[in-house]
Amino acid sequence: MLKFALRNLLSRSLRSFLCLMGLTIAIAGMVGLFSIAGGLEETVSQTFGKISGIVAMQPGAPIPLFSRIPRSWGAEIEEIPGVSIVNSEIWSRVNIIEGKPVVSPPRFLFGTDLPTRLQLKKGIYRETIYEGRFLNLEDQGKLNTVISRQIAEQHQKQVGDQIEVNGQQMTIVGLYECGSILLDVAIILDIDVVRDITRFDPESVSCFYIEQSDDFKNDVIVKNIKDQFCDRELASWQPASLALANASQSNILKDFVDAIDQSLKGTSDQGAEKKQKSEKQSSSRKTPVVNAGNANTSEHPSALEVRAASDWGERLETFTADLDIFLGLMTGIGVLIAMLSIINTMLMSVMERIVDFGILKANGWSNRDVMLLITAESSLLGVTGGVLGCILGLGAIAIVNWKFASQVHLYASPGLLLFGVVFSTFLGIFGGLYPAWWTTRMTPIDAIRRG
Amino acid sequence: MIEIRDVTKIHQCGETEVRALQGVSCRFPGQTFSFILGPSGSGKSTLLYLMGALDSPSSGEIFVQNRSLSTLTQTERDTYRREKVGFVFQSFNLLKNLNALENVLAPYLPQGVTAEQKQRAEDLLKQVGLGQRITHRPNQLSGGEQQRVAIARALLKRPLLILADEPTGELDTKTGEEIFHCLRDMSEQYKTTVVIVTHDERYIRETDYILRLRDGKLAEANAAD
Repeated sequence: MLKFALRNLLSRSLRSFLCLMGLTIAIAGMVGLFSIAGGLEETVSQTFGKISGIVAMQPGAPIPLFSRIPRSWGAEIEEIPGVSIVNSEIWSRVNIIEGKPVVSPPRFLFGTDLPTRLQLKKGIYRETIYEGRFLNLEDQGKLNTVISRQIAEQHQKQVGDQIEVNGQQMTIVGLYECGSILLDVAIILDIDVVRDITRFDPESVSCFYIEQSDDFKNDVIVKNIKDQFCDRELASWQPASLALANASQSNILKDFVDAIDQSLKGTSDQGAEKKQKSEKQSSSRKTPVVNAGNANTSEHPSALEVRAASDWGERLETFTADLDIFLGLMTGIGVLIAMLSIINTMLMSVMERIVDFGILKANGWSNRDVMLLITAESSLLGVTGGVLGCILGLGAIAIVNWKFASQVHLYASPGLLLFGVVFSTFLGIFGGLYPAWWTTRMTPIDAIRRG
Repeated sequence: MIEIRDVTKIHQCGETEVRALQGVSCRFPGQTFSFILGPSGSGKSTLLYLMGALDSPSSGEIFVQNRSLSTLTQTERDTYRREKVGFVFQSFNLLKNLNALENVLAPYLPQGVTAEQKQRAEDLLKQVGLGQRITHRPNQLSGGEQQRVAIARALLKRPLLILADEPTGELDTKTGEEIFHCLRDMSEQYKTTVVIVTHDERYIRETDYILRLRDGKLAEANAAD
């Protein structure tokens, strides 16, 4: 039966080819789109799998780049049971390298407190030195830097060369390569050097990287740190537009945002609100944090957001699950077109061969036999389209990963590929069912006479 | 062996009713060579298809070996067509994607072809003079050769009944004679009842049974009671 079905498909080679292409492209598109989420998940697991410590930063800040917390809190964290090392970090975006604006992929100035950094048992950048050396105590206060191999290759630099970052000439003492597009983006310097270059508030840091004692579990330390800072006041991070709006009381944008806020809350007592804000602002001036938003301490009981690396991974996995829904909807359009293409192809093919089916029925083929033949043909299209689609998708992924190695990482798991083939096969089967059913409505003689 | 009792067949063409057969009754004895004659539109082919269970009568009954075709389930009708009846059509009706041998074996493709069936198909093709052309596709065969393949296909199942609808309608006279010769040989060899619809009375012999239809009614019969 399968052999017969294959011959029928080959006898209409152009139509079968076009249908196959429609299906192949749909499945390749599906593999390609879902590989975005797959790549993100793999990057996240690759990245956070390498980081064993805990990160403490401003509540609500998506990444350390947007976080500001008091520098002095580092000493307090050190005293908490289970904490072994607390490393202060400053993160700032690089705008210009070698006179060229940096847009994509992003690059970051990463200032780290070298004495504590060098005490870490596991230091991701230190352990992935590709050439040269990591920073040491002699690099404190100097414009000596360790950069990722990607950045070095992008600007054709090597160890010993000078590199101009945000108008500052730095000496490259080492290159590192973590193998993750989330980590291979940093230009690492002594924390005070970065503070000077970026005019970072002297009493603030972006975050603390905390290494725990061996005999303490992460969740216990996380809880201890949160408990320690639950009675502190630190505004939650909020987007820059809102921060700007809050910067001045007479700012039009701020007033507009306040008005929206008021209407959403349904309160009309603006005087009381202003008074409340005034109190908050005077309170926030006591801390070195610039942000003076409407912090709600009941929503953020701790003034620090403390997470183990695995928690960040889980948070991003939630994001990729949401992304999957979106990608699924986009894929659905392609799949729908492919399915209509199969139905159209099979329906046309069936209508052309209606006499053949009449002859087969006259010779004893049952309706079920005819349906089986037609669905065998459409499922052959489905399987082949699935396999070709996966191959095409993998090829496209390989090209994208090679061409844009430093920007994106796509990954199609074996599970995704298997799903692609199985899904395509089902698509073929279901695409053939209607034309198959259509043929069974006619008596053999009606079918023969139609010819 | 085949008894037709008061069979009427009405086709619905839009809002118009076409009475293809009107109360036809007759009987075809077994292992004979029979002809259904009549002008176009007289209901010859309709009667043939009803006998082959390709269609159902609007009223009346058809008995084959004393069993009414009206009582057969759909599966039994499929089995009846696969095992008891062989069809030969005017336009050969071979499947163009299959070669001669595969066309002969086509009725058995869903169940899977046995070695015995394959051997028998090859033997039949040799008997109809196509031993050297079993791997040829329909477009590589002449009209006469294609009709021989159709005859071999009809005979493969060792049918009780071969129903042929204008089997020489698309063939020249010489080839037509060859096909009739072939059908008669096979009928005698396999003791099969053959019923042929034709316009051409040149191939009729005195011993053959004849049924003549006109306007869907029986006009003359030496086979009918």
